[in-house]
Amino acid sequence: MLRLAVLALLAFMTLPTVVVVAVSFNPTAILSFPPTGLSLRWYVNVVTYPQFQRAAWNSLLVTAGAVALAMPIGTAAALGLARGRPRAASLWATVLLSPLVVPGVAAGLGFLIVGAALGLLRSRSVLIAAHVALVLPFVVRSAWVSVRNLDPTLERAAASLGATPWRAFRRVTLPLLRPGLLAALLFAVIVSLNEFVVSLFISTRLTEILPVAMFTYVVNYTDPTIAALSTLFIVGTFLIVWLADRFLDLGGVFLHHR
Amino acid sequence: MLARLVVASLLALCLPVATAHAQNSLVVSVWGGNWKDTVDRVIGKAFTAKTGMPVEFEVGGTIDRLAKARVAKGNPLVDITFTTSHVGRLYISDGLFAPLDMARLPNAKETAREALRSEYQMGGWSYVYTIVYRPDLVKEEITKWSDLWRPSLKGKIAMPDFDPSHIITIAALMEGGNETTWQKGQERLKALKPSIVAFYSTDAQSQDLMKTGQAPVQVMLSVNGYHLQEQGIAVKLVQPKDFPGVVGIDCMSVMAGTKKADAAHQFINLALSKEIQTELAKALKAGPVNGGATVPAAYHGQPGIFLTPAEWKERAYSINDEVRAKNLPAWREWFTANIVK
Amino acid sequence: MRLLLTPALLVVAVFAAALSALLRYSVLEFVPGSLQTGGLTVANFTGIMSRQYLGAVWDTVLLSLATTALTLVASYPVAYALARTPSARVRSALLVLTLAPFFTGAIVRTYAWMLVLGNTVVTWPVPMLFTPRGVLVGLVHFSMPTMILLLAAAISHIDPAYERAAASLGASPARVFRRVTLPLSMPGIVSGSVIVFAWTLSAFATPELLGGGRVKMIANVVRDLALDSFNWPGGAAFAVVALAVTMALLAGVGRLTAPADRSP
Repeated sequence: MLRLAVLALLAFMTLPTVVVVAVSFNPTAILSFPPTGLSLRWYVNVVTYPQFQRAAWNSLLVTAGAVALAMPIGTAAALGLARGRPRAASLWATVLLSPLVVPGVAAGLGFLIVGAALGLLRSRSVLIAAHVALVLPFVVRSAWVSVRNLDPTLERAAASLGATPWRAFRRVTLPLLRPGLLAALLFAVIVSLNEFVVSLFISTRLTEILPVAMFTYVVNYTDPTIAALSTLFIVGTFLIVWLADRFLDLGGVFLHHR
Repeated sequence: MLARLVVASLLALCLPVATAHAQNSLVVSVWGGNWKDTVDRVIGKAFTAKTGMPVEFEVGGTIDRLAKARVAKGNPLVDITFTTSHVGRLYISDGLFAPLDMARLPNAKETAREALRSEYQMGGWSYVYTIVYRPDLVKEEITKWSDLWRPSLKGKIAMPDFDPSHIITIAALMEGGNETTWQKGQERLKALKPSIVAFYSTDAQSQDLMKTGQAPVQVMLSVNGYHLQEQGIAVKLVQPKDFPGVVGIDCMSVMAGTKKADAAHQFINLALSKEIQTELAKALKAGPVNGGATVPAAYHGQPGIFLTPAEWKERAYSINDEVRAKNLPAWREWFTANIVK
Repeated sequence: MRLLLTPALLVVAVFAAALSALLRYSVLEFVPGSLQTGGLTVANFTGIMSRQYLGAVWDTVLLSLATTALTLVASYPVAYALARTPSARVRSALLVLTLAPFFTGAIVRTYAWMLVLGNTVVTWPVPMLFTPRGVLVGLVHFSMPTMILLLAAAISHIDPAYERAAASLGASPARVFRRVTLPLSMPGIVSGSVIVFAWTLSAFATPELLGGGRVKMIANVVRDLALDSFNWPGGAAFAVVALAVTMALLAGVGRLTAPADRSP
């Protein structure tokens, strides 16, 4: 009984994905399921559409920039939280994680106002700044989980053997944190790549990232091009998530093991 | 490790400084989808081939492009705007257009008199708003505007929510009035309310509603109707017998304050040439403004295609641009409050 | 500790600057047709009281409540299976199926629903696309991964010994669920529900694409005001209201550690 319900629900959760993938191969501009034939023309359109090419490049730059900044800042913050007194740490953690509770449109409009006032909207700097702010909570959270599980005696042992704090950090702490940091990196990249609402407000035609370009396309066209692009996204993320689960034990991140 | 982190951060900080700057291209503001594709393919490519200057597009709806233009006043983000002739008047009253230099538009001499809508606007093509429907989902033939009020069409109709000019005018005409005495049609319009299942804000939505069959009868632009046919959806465009379709003329204008006035005029002039007009008429299935353009025989007499002054008179109802522009805000407000809600 | 936290706090400060700009604009006067603003005014907030805007607020609250309720019911079985399944392979499969849609982004997921609701697979007896019920389906689908993970985490904390004890005392599976599992998972239910409700309040992409302009939630109104009419003060006021309500709700729950994406 439970099994049936779960299967039905899983079907509900995955049905749209199946439809999107199927429709992406339709030879005509009509969205039909099952597809009337098999054609790659929409995939060709995705790859050759100039605005998607520009948006993909923007996505790459913005995400790379945001992650390059957020990873060290977030890791440092997680270490700082772990070293502080528990109550203070809890308070600071709340502050650091607060961007998560802010509605996207509020942050988006806020950044738009500030960006316009500073005249920065023609460059990608506002986008990168916003992405860093949005991605940082995820990095801090993931890193903090890892840091909390660190055995402090290991670092002390290294120190007692004559290692400088930096050496201890580099040779002992960092390698132990690696799984947590990889998870943090994964979250950061995926959150930034998919960030849509805030980016919609602060993007211009020249700086828009891929999700914004997709949104503009969906609003203006009714052909299956976005189905093709979505399929590429889906395949990509399925792979990443599956790999992450195999090597990082995602279950351990979310569930309590007995 | 630390050194690597520092370097990575510095690199990341340098990236924002790499401003996303456009190449030296002409920026054209136009509707998205089929419209942008056609302008790009037919005019844009020819322009780039001729001048070497690339063409970029800013897409959006009629009203939101106006809003964006207002905000960028004096320092426009686009060089040329395509918009409807009556909304163009709103741009003019806001001082957003530069007067056209007719000396730089020699091809304009070959165009119909109606094409020059004002000293700021040059018509590019014409079409009508008429009834478009799916005969496979609506068995009884639709031949007149008054057929929309048929009880059998309850919950089957969709129309634009961004511009109610057409249906308001038609309802007024049905009650013996016109666009100036539009209040006469108000009760008629309210009677139509139960038949309307959806309002569309974009061309894409209208096409979606037709494709999915959710709204098989629509008040639609003839060009969009033909586009649906091209995509394989069997729709019929009506040449209404009681009152003509409502004419629309899309116009090109040069933005006030643009730094590329020369290139802009070249673009517009190219768009008015016989060859490009022929291509445009064929691609959009719209009426050309250049008298010398050849329209395929199969299009003659079709809704939205006018070749002679007589045809304009018979099959086209032209709402006075000034009246339309002046009343549009009031129309939108009344329509939203009484029909859309 | 301070030194390590400083860069992160700077980033949060930048974010706070954006929000304070938002707050400032919400009390400035809107000058139609330009980005300049007038003086201080409460007009933006009183403007929200108008019929059409209050309607959007009401619709948002109703949709969010409905979404939360349906998501809870739909997520519980999957969450239970995820938490309790003995097989690591099944757990992996469930986790991947739950998480993957998460990571494909709002546009992809919403577009997929545009296809399904748009009569691509079956012709629905009632219109689904561009209607509130269509938006509801999309919102539930969007919220399920979050709810499943939160519930599963809560359920995995319940010692199965309790359930076994109840069963050994003669309780039917339904009774065990009702008297043992459900009450013990209540913290997860509450926090999951509040989080889903709060996030659905600020939903944007789902109502924007699936609602087709007919279903306006608070976030859509903010976008319309800010990006179509360029009424930044008006949009700011609305956004401030959404922000205040969301923060109040989530502060109440005290849980800011949900492993999830933000706006549907």
